[in-house]
Amino acid sequence: MLKNLKEWVIVFIIIGAIMLIGNWIGYDIMPLDALPGLAVLIGISLAGLVIHRLLPFQLPSIAYIGILGLILTLPNMPGSEQIVAWTAEVSLLAIATPILAYAGVSIGRSWFDFVQLGWRTIVIGMFVLLGTFLGSAVIAEVILRMQGII
Amino acid sequence: MAQESLKLWKDWRLHLVVLAIVIVAESIGTHSIPLGPGAILLLPMLYAVIIGLALYFTPLVSDKQSINAEPLVFLSVAVLIAKFGVQAGPAIPQIIEAGPALLLQEFGNLGTIFLALPLAVFLGLKRESIGMTHSIGREANLALITDKYGLSSPEGRGVMAMYIFGTVFGSIFIGLISGFLATVTPIHPLSFAMATGVGSGSMAAASLGPLIAAYPDMSAELTAFSGVSNLISSVSGLYMSIFVGLPLTVKMYEILSRKRDLKAAGGAEDVKKP
Repeated sequence: MLKNLKEWVIVFIIIGAIMLIGNWIGYDIMPLDALPGLAVLIGISLAGLVIHRLLPFQLPSIAYIGILGLILTLPNMPGSEQIVAWTAEVSLLAIATPILAYAGVSIGRSWFDFVQLGWRTIVIGMFVLLGTFLGSAVIAEVILRMQGII
Repeated sequence: MAQESLKLWKDWRLHLVVLAIVIVAESIGTHSIPLGPGAILLLPMLYAVIIGLALYFTPLVSDKQSINAEPLVFLSVAVLIAKFGVQAGPAIPQIIEAGPALLLQEFGNLGTIFLALPLAVFLGLKRESIGMTHSIGREANLALITDKYGLSSPEGRGVMAMYIFGTVFGSIFIGLISGFLATVTPIHPLSFAMATGVGSGSMAAASLGPLIAAYPDMSAELTAFSGVSNLISSVSGLYMSIFVGLPLTVKMYEILSRKRDLKAAGGAEDVKKP
């Protein structure tokens, strides 16, 4: 656990530095301005990973991370406004770019398997993604309209 | 998952490569290609996944980097989920108000069964189509099918093919269609934000990115809704597959394939008659 924690911290510092640089180049936010927000996000991530290890429930660690972030920023939660203000300086898109850069490097290994898939798999795959995405959007749309929210 | 002492942080080559990809991708910036009444948005994250993939075929990246990159995707997704969380807290009144939509849109993930399964059967696939179309085919679904049918069964081959497809092409494809669909269909961006919780962190990022870029004024709300939708999917997604998605797919496959076989038999008789 402690060994893991140490490694997580170092890895998060590296990933965080890359995110700060992307946030600066792409979204013109100076790294020093984004640092507190990013530190909070990393703190929440670490706490979620640790809670996941300690609790016996079969929930994915990202569930703990999401719930923790949500609870900390609930209205009337002490310090929530400060957390919201800090984390607003870290663009979501700046977080996403390194994720997909690592993903790109990681999927290289699957490329040869990918090209061996037949054309039918590729076509069906696009419809699986389209059906999943559009299906959710349509149901959400219908209910939001029924409620008069949009 | 971050496995025990892989010494991920020591792979400096990987981190420098990713840093370089990020610098190049963010410097290119966002570009929009008009397409009919809508637009396809090209975001830095899209260049990043393509450059990363391309670099695998250069000496810069070896198998070692590629293997190490996988847990790093997971750890960087953790930061994204934290960002989702802190956007969701302040929006909790709107989230509760939109609660019914957020919960019920999970059933929309079954849309693949109604859209992709008939196509798979039409294209002549057999029981592979069950594995392929019962869900979006990420890790949890792969585990479910393997557990139930075994990986070498037709269903197992189907889900494996979809897993590979989604791994390589998923975020690229969903990143391209999300912005386009949001600009071209009458469906509200908030509904699309709820749809981004499809079951994979990088696909969530790839599908939310273009929405935020297309509707920057709504960015906080879109992120909050996307985050909660992801949270619900991560908790309920597997159970949805076990209790609804997979049984429904099997049932529908049996109906559709019987129809196809009848049609084929009927067609053969018609030929014989004259």
